[in-house]
Amino acid sequence: MKEFNYLRADTLSEALEMLEEFQGNVKVLAAGTDLVVRLKGDMVKEENILDISRIKELKGIFTENGIIHILPLTTHTEILEYPDMKTAAQILYDACKSVGSPQIRNRGTLGGNVANASPAGDTIPALFVQEAKLKLKSKSGERVISVEDFFTGPGRTVLKPDELLVDIYFPAMSDDEVGFFKKLGQRNALAISVVSVAAKLKKSTEPNKFDKAFVAFGSVAPTVIRGNRVENALMDSVVDSREKIRYIAQLAWREVSPISDVRASLKYRQDMSINLLYEGLLELYKNGWNRRS
Amino acid sequence: MGEYKYIGKSVPRVDAAEKATGHIKYMSDLSFPNMLWGKIVRSKYPHAKILKIDTSKAEALPGVVAVVTWKDVPGLNGFGIVVPDQPVLCEDKVRYIGDAVAAVAAETKEIAEKAANLVEVEYEPLPLVDDPIKAISEDAPKVHEGGNVHLHTKIVRGDVEKAFEEADLIVEHTYYTGRQEHAFLETESGVAKLEEDGTLSVYAGSQYPQRDQMQLSRCLALNPRKIHVVSYPVGGAFGGKDELTIQPILGLLALKTKRPVKIVLSREESIISYWKRHPMIMKYKTGVKKDGTLVANKVEIYADTGAYASLGGPVLNLAVEHACGPYKLDNVYIDGYCVYTNNGVAGAFRGFGVPQVTFAMETQMDIIAEKLGIDPIELRKKNALRRGDVSPIGNKLTTSVGTVAVLEGVKETDLWKNKDKIEKVDKERPWIKRGFGFALTYQGTGLGIGLPDYGGAVLRFREDGGFIVGVGIVDYGQGTGTSYAQIVAEAMKCPVNKVSVILGDTDLTADSGPTSASRGVYTGGRAAIIASKRMMKILKEKAAELLSVSPEDLEAEGGYFYVKNQPDVSISYDKIAMEFLKTSGHLPQTEGYFLMPIADIKIKDAFGLPHHIFAYSGHLALVEVNTLTGQTKVLEGAEVVDGGIVVNRQGFEAQVEGGYVMGMGYGLMEDVKIEKGIFKTVNFSTYIIPTVKDAPKRIQTVPVHDPEETGPYQAKGIAETVMVATAPAITNAIHSATGIRIFKIPATSELIYNLLKE
Ligand SMILES: Cc1cc2nc3c(=O)[nH]c(=O)nc-3n(C[C@H](O)[C@H](O)[C@H](O)COP(=O)(O)OP(=O)(O)OC[C@H]3O[C@@H](n4cnc5c(N)ncnc54)[C@H](O)[C@@H]3O)c2cc1C
Repeated sequence: MKEFNYLRADTLSEALEMLEEFQGNVKVLAAGTDLVVRLKGDMVKEENILDISRIKELKGIFTENGIIHILPLTTHTEILEYPDMKTAAQILYDACKSVGSPQIRNRGTLGGNVANASPAGDTIPALFVQEAKLKLKSKSGERVISVEDFFTGPGRTVLKPDELLVDIYFPAMSDDEVGFFKKLGQRNALAISVVSVAAKLKKSTEPNKFDKAFVAFGSVAPTVIRGNRVENALMDSVVDSREKIRYIAQLAWREVSPISDVRASLKYRQDMSINLLYEGLLELYKNGWNRRS
Repeated sequence: MGEYKYIGKSVPRVDAAEKATGHIKYMSDLSFPNMLWGKIVRSKYPHAKILKIDTSKAEALPGVVAVVTWKDVPGLNGFGIVVPDQPVLCEDKVRYIGDAVAAVAAETKEIAEKAANLVEVEYEPLPLVDDPIKAISEDAPKVHEGGNVHLHTKIVRGDVEKAFEEADLIVEHTYYTGRQEHAFLETESGVAKLEEDGTLSVYAGSQYPQRDQMQLSRCLALNPRKIHVVSYPVGGAFGGKDELTIQPILGLLALKTKRPVKIVLSREESIISYWKRHPMIMKYKTGVKKDGTLVANKVEIYADTGAYASLGGPVLNLAVEHACGPYKLDNVYIDGYCVYTNNGVAGAFRGFGVPQVTFAMETQMDIIAEKLGIDPIELRKKNALRRGDVSPIGNKLTTSVGTVAVLEGVKETDLWKNKDKIEKVDKERPWIKRGFGFALTYQGTGLGIGLPDYGGAVLRFREDGGFIVGVGIVDYGQGTGTSYAQIVAEAMKCPVNKVSVILGDTDLTADSGPTSASRGVYTGGRAAIIASKRMMKILKEKAAELLSVSPEDLEAEGGYFYVKNQPDVSISYDKIAMEFLKTSGHLPQTEGYFLMPIADIKIKDAFGLPHHIFAYSGHLALVEVNTLTGQTKVLEGAEVVDGGIVVNRQGFEAQVEGGYVMGMGYGLMEDVKIEKGIFKTVNFSTYIIPTVKDAPKRIQTVPVHDPEETGPYQAKGIAETVMVATAPAITNAIHSATGIRIFKIPATSELIYNLLKE
C-alpha cells in the first residue's frame, strides 16, 4: 500500500478551504469503511487524505417543515435509532438495516454510502424513491441536485474537486404512502447486494390505484437506476391481482442492464430484478396495500 | 457414567479466559528485538517454466537484509507429508499461481513488500491443466514428470454387474462438490529465530510439531534436535495447517539473516497459496431391491488435488473407504483417482474426503427412499452396518458401531418428532416452501492401517500437588486441551483446575502423532491415562510410606490419599510433592505411550485402509426455500452423534454446532472459484462463509453411544463426523421442500433458482 499525507479538518469551512487548495489531489475520508478497502488495494490515485470525520456541523438528523435532513456524517446506526425514522423514512430505514453488520453500521455513514457511488450502495435506491435531494458545497458556493442526477458511473459522481456533500434531505412519508426495500445478497449479513429494489407508492383514493410510483434498482446497471416503465405501469393500472403484479414486475426486464461477475450471472440478476419487485409488491398487495405493522 | 467425576461434565475450556480477554499470544502476535519481516514472491502464472530469476534490484533496496531463492535451500528443496514433491522455492517450473519462487527479509513489512515486487522472474507459460478428468488422458500436458495421476485406488468386491441385473431399481447420478477454504481466523503466520546455541526456533501454528521438525530438518539440512518447533497456540486450522506452509521459508530467512524473521500472510495470500478441500466429481450407480436392500454400488471418484500431493492420496483413500456409507454392501466397485492440476493446492480438511462422498451417497439414499416409498430412517436401518458385519471394502467391524443407536436417537429429536407438522407452504407467502431432510455418515478415527498411529503423553507432578500434562497434539479450537485436563483429573483423582496442559511443542511434549483424523482425544487421552496410572503408582507408594500403611490400603480422592475405612488418616498431594522435593530434590515424571489398535485386514493397493474405529452421526435439517430467489434458510438443525462417551458436554455441543454450520456453508455457499488457474474469490468479500445471521436458530445436539472399550473412558472422537453429513441433510431438505434434486454443492441461491426454473 502506498503512503499518503493525512490532513484533518475540524470545521466545514476548513475542509472547503483545503479542498480548494489541493485542487483534486485529495480524497475525502469519512468513516473509511469503503475508502480504506480501496487504499489497501492501491486503488486511490490522490496523494492526500482529508479526514472530515470530526466535523460536527456535518453530523445529525433534523426535521424542518416535513422535510427530513440527514447530514452526511450520520451513521447507519444513528439513522436506525432516530425516533420515527421507521415510519417517516421506512424505505431508507430498511436499507440502512441491511448494511453490513453492526460494526459497519456503527461506523459507516450515509454520506459515504452515497458519495462512494457504488451501484450496490444500499441506501441509494431507497434515497431515489424517497425523492432525496443532495446539497453540494464548495468555498465558492453551493448547489442542490436530485439524488438521481448525482451519479455518472460506478464510483463516479458530479461532485467537483472542491465540493463536499453537506446535506441529504427528503420529505417524510405520509400515511397514504407505502413502500419497501428488498435486497438479495449471497448471505444474510455482510453481503454486497446482488440485486436490490426499492419502491414507494402513493395510494389513490380508488382501491388498488396509485397516484405516484417510484421504483429503483441497485446492482443491475452502472449506477442505481429508476424504473420508469414499471412506475408508469403501476400508475396506469388497477393493480388488483397477483397476475397483474407479475405482469408489471416483468417490465423490470426492460429497465436493467446487469453484468455477470463472481457473485452472480447477468441472467440471474435480470430475473431477480423482476422477482424481488414482484415479491415486494405482492407482499404489500396481500397486506391490502398497507404498511406492515 | 455416574462413576465419573469429571468425564462427561460441562467443564469450561482451560484456555477460555486468556482467549476471551485477548491475553493469549498467537504466533502472529509475537515480536522479538531486531526482528525482520519476510515476504514471499509467488508465481505469476498457474503453469510456467522459470527462465530466469533476478534478485539484484530487490537486494539493492535499502532495508533489505536477504533475498533467498532455490539456490539457498541447503537440504531437499521439497516438502510434503506423503511425497515431498512441493518445492520450498521453485527452481525451474511453477505449478500453481501461489507457488513460492523467492522470499525477502527486510527491516520493515513495507520494505519487504516493495522488495518482493522488485524480484524479477522470467516465465514461459505452459499449457494449463485445469480439468481433473481430462488431465488423466495420456496426451494431457503434465503437471509433474511422472504424469497427472497422483494416486489410483480401486477396490472391487463381489460382482456389481451381476448384482445390477438382480436389482429392482438402479439410481445413477454424477455429483460435484466445491473447493472449500478452511477460513481459520489466523492466517499462516509465525516467526523463526536462531538461538545463541545454534538452535532454530520456529514459532508457527500447526497441527503436528514433531513432523514439522522432521520436514524442516530435511529441507534445511539441520539436525532435528537443533530445531525447536512451537505450534501452539494457533488461531484455527481445520486441517489447513497439517502440512507445512510458511515454516521452511521462515527457517531459510532466519538462517541466512541470523535475525528473527516474521511472516503474517494476508487473507488474499493465504487463500491463494495453501490447502483447500478437494473438489470431487463422483459418478454413482446404486442397485437396490424393492424392499430397500442395497445390492450393488459402483462409484468413480475424481479428486482434484491441485499442483502438489500433500495429503491428496490419503484424502482420496478415505473417500474410497467411505464411498458406500455405513451400509452393508457385498458388491462394490470403487474406482478413485487423485489427479494433479494447476488449480491451487488441495490437502487435509476436516472430514478428509468423506464429506464429498457422503453428499453423493446420502443423496442416492434419499432418492432410493423416495422412489421405493420407504421411510428414510427405515431404509438406512435396513442396510446399516452393525458390529460384527463386514464393511463394503471388506474388513470386519469388531469395534463400536453406532448406526442403530444414531438412527434410534434421530427419532427422539424434536425435528423428527415434529416433521409432519411442518407448514410446507407458507400461508402468507406461498412462494416460500419448507422441507425436512436427513443424512447419515461415519468417519474413521485415527490414521488407518499401515501408518504408525500412537499417542504419547508426558505427565509432570507439580509442587502444589497438581499435574502438567504435555501432549504433542494441538488444540486449535476443538477443546482437546480441556479434555486432557479432565482425563488426567479423572485418572489422578484431583480437581480439573489442578491440571495444566502443554500442547504442540517439540521440547516439552511427547510425540502424539498429527492432530487430525478425529484422533486427538482417543490417542492422546489413552496415553495420558497410561502416564497417569504410572504416576498414581509412584504417588501411592510415597503416600503409603509416609502414612506407614501398605499402598493397597490407600484410596485417592480430590487430591488426597485416604486410608480405607479410616477417612481421617490422609495426606494431600501437595504434601507428597513437598516430601519428594525434600528427599530427592525433584518431582516425579511419567510418560505414557499408546499404540492404536488396527483392523483385521489390509486392503490391497489402498494405503491406510481400512480404519478400525469409527464415529457415527445423523444430521437433520429443516429448511425454507424462497422459490422466487432460490435463497435457502436453514431454520433448525439437529445432530445425533456417536463419538463414544462425551468427555466434555459443552465442548461436544460447541463442536456439533460449529461442525453443522461449517457443513451448511459447504452445502450452500462456500466455493473457492478458480478460472484458468486464477483465483476469483480471494477474500471474505467474495468467498462467502455463513454468518451468525445465516446459522439456524437452534441446533439440537444429542449424544448416543455404542461402548468402545478401547477408548479413554470409552471415548472415540467427534471432530469430523459432526460436519460431514450436514450438506446432504440440507440438500435432501431442499428436495423435500421444492422437488428439485441437488447434484452439485454449494447449492447457491442462483443454482437453486435455475433448477426451479427448469
Ligand atoms: C465489511 C463491509 C460490509 C459492507 N456492507 C455494506 C452493505 O451491506 N451495503 C452497503 O451499501 N455498503 C456496505 N459497505 C460499504 C460501506 O460501509 C458503506 O458504503 C458506508 O456507508 C460508507 O461510509 P463511510 O463513511 O465509511 O465512507 P468512506 O469510506 O469514508 O467514503 C466513501 C467515499 O465517499 C467519499 N465521501 C465520504 N463522505 C463524503 C462527503 N461528505 N462528501 C464528498 N465525498 C464523501 C469518500 O471520498 C469516498 O470516496 C460495507 C463495507 C464493509 C467494509
